[in-house]
Amino acid sequence: MPNRIIKWIDQRFPLTSFVKHELTGYPTPRNLSYWWNFGFLAGFVLMLQVATGIFLAMHYKADVALSFDSIQHIMRDVNYGWLLRYMHSTGASAFFFVIFVHMARTLYYGSYRAPRELLWWTGQGLLLLLMATAFMGYLLPWGQMSFWGATVITNLFQATPFYGEQVVIWLRGDYTVGDATLSRFFALHYLFPFIIIGAVIVHLVALHSVKSSNPSGIDLAAKDNIPFHPYFTIKDLYGLGLFLMVYCVFVFFMPNSLIEPANNIPANPMQTPNHIVPEWYFLPFYAILRSVPNMVGGVVAMGLSVMMFAFMPFLDRSRIPGGAHYRPIYRLQFYLFMLDMLVLGYVGYVPPTSQTMLIGQIATLCYFASFFLVPFISKVEERWLIKRGLPPQLMALMESESAGIAKRKLKPQRRKGDMA
Amino acid sequence: MKKFMTLLACCCFASSALASEAKLEAVKVGVDLQTVARGVDAVMNSCHSCHSLKYIKYHDLVNLGIDKSVVDTWRGDQPMDSAMLAQMSESDAVQAYGKAPPDLSLMAKARDGGASYVYSYLLGYYITPEGMSGNHIYPATKMPDILGISGITDEAGRAEAQGKARDIVSFLAWAADPDEQTRHKLGYYVLGYLFVLTFLLYLVKNQVWSKLK
Ligand code: HEC
Ligand code: HEM
Repeated sequence: MPNRIIKWIDQRFPLTSFVKHELTGYPTPRNLSYWWNFGFLAGFVLMLQVATGIFLAMHYKADVALSFDSIQHIMRDVNYGWLLRYMHSTGASAFFFVIFVHMARTLYYGSYRAPRELLWWTGQGLLLLLMATAFMGYLLPWGQMSFWGATVITNLFQATPFYGEQVVIWLRGDYTVGDATLSRFFALHYLFPFIIIGAVIVHLVALHSVKSSNPSGIDLAAKDNIPFHPYFTIKDLYGLGLFLMVYCVFVFFMPNSLIEPANNIPANPMQTPNHIVPEWYFLPFYAILRSVPNMVGGVVAMGLSVMMFAFMPFLDRSRIPGGAHYRPIYRLQFYLFMLDMLVLGYVGYVPPTSQTMLIGQIATLCYFASFFLVPFISKVEERWLIKRGLPPQLMALMESESAGIAKRKLKPQRRKGDMA
Repeated sequence: MKKFMTLLACCCFASSALASEAKLEAVKVGVDLQTVARGVDAVMNSCHSCHSLKYIKYHDLVNLGIDKSVVDTWRGDQPMDSAMLAQMSESDAVQAYGKAPPDLSLMAKARDGGASYVYSYLLGYYITPEGMSGNHIYPATKMPDILGISGITDEAGRAEAQGKARDIVSFLAWAADPDEQTRHKLGYYVLGYLFVLTFLLYLVKNQVWSKLK
């Protein structure tokens, strides 16, 4: 019976062939490491956030007089409401953690390079959407940090040329963050995850057109590709089990470590907390904002710091495949960049003193330098590596790859035929 | 590389410089019913006149396991499902102390340091050389020294006050997170389940991948 139904559908809709092409049979490099599990995990966390979020929304009230109480209602009266809320608040952190690892993986292995630029840019768009979603969600519990965080960040739009004042009011729907802001943030917080789902689909279509990269950084011969199912379905599920264990330690044993204590105090527009900190995932960017003494400059620097990733396909001039694998200098640069992120995160967390300001400024410089130096370093490094002698099979691959790229540049319309 | 090493060193230095703020006395809250029950009793007698616990209803106390007759004496003629509001009205409190006493339901999670903060705050009162009342943790506080700790000179009295403060804080920790015990218990089951499941998935994964040569 099920077979007959499927056959009926297949005569009218490419169900089996779609599943075979894009899911079960999707050719995947066999040498993918566990760093390649994080894309699937990001998709899983997205579904988790949508599922818990919809149930939270059934009990939540977006009204300045009611929202703080409604969170306590969820925590205390709704059956397993505490579980829903802690899964959701922990899920936001898990989402960023997974996405950051996913991005670091891409940076390390150079998966942003041709032909995967568009894939990388859709990822950049996803990061921005995720940040916007989390920022708006954070206002909803209407605690002190919710209120003051939203106030500080919406205030930054004052830096808009000519219309700064109006833009801030337009965003808030009022002169200050208030009921209008809360209602619209709730509406948008509900909407954005679905836009994210759409963007994820675009991301996946791009992925399936250019295929996964792999730790060697070289496009593998067909025999080294294996079908996604069962090899990667089971590997992803095993990774999911590991991830869920860590996630559940946070949800069940330390959920409050991810909620700022001041957010357990209802929002009070008359009383500024002595230290406003964003969520941990915004800290490095917040540190960059604070490192620039001038407000407009700070906003530009912060915006640029998030967008810098998008320039990577242009900045990296090296033709050596394999990302950091065959590139010792790039590898060092990568680790220094990770270290710099940690320093920035720390600086963003502590109350500013002249000392941490200085550290923050140096770290900000290092942050941008690690991007802007890439073109020069990658060129010099490539020359040096070729002079020193690369493994012969790598040289051969580089030649065929650059020939491939040249071909594409010459006749872009040929690509379609190449793919088929 | 050297630059980053110096940077790291600076970070360590900065974090030690920060730690010089008033030190909290760490307290391990009790989760057993006796401690929490003594805590409710102390809160009803010493704090409830000024402070509300608006997210706790009287029947929550009965559900927790407090004797119903005791809860009945606390609630007087209020219904069982009314919230534990303060006896003093907010405007009276503002008039008397210059500031409204905050709601205590979430207090154990609403300050950096959590329960240890409240514990240290309650025990942080002292008499300044000028004969005024001061507090190490919250110097400008408008709340009087409820436990009378600044007047206690002997060890036994101090130990008693500490015990009482710990009871109070244990109750407040429960009030801030009443499902903590359930959560932990469920957590152990979930983790146990996940552990077995993940282990099995690991075996299946190895088996599936072993077909590749
Ligand atoms: C006489 C009235 C009164 C009583 C009784 C009282 N408090 Fe307070 N309490 C206050 C006032 C007023 C404040 C506000 C203090 C301020 O912010 O300056 C306060 C504030 C607090 C705070 C918050 C401090 C902060 O960091 O903002 C805590 C915690 C607290 N009280 C706990 C207790 C506990 C526990 C008891 C019972 C042992 C208690 N109080 C009994 C009047 C009282
Ligand atoms: C992209 C995925 C999502 C992210 C990253 C995210 C993030 C967040 C964050 C950070 C909070 C504040 C948590 C807290 O401190 O309590 C929050 C709250 C909330 N979110 Fe989401 N969210 C997502 C998806 C959704 C969806 C799809 C819905 C509903 C349809 C939703 C509904 C809510 C509600 C009702 C709250 C308020 C309750 C609460 O604060 O716990 N969220 N979200």
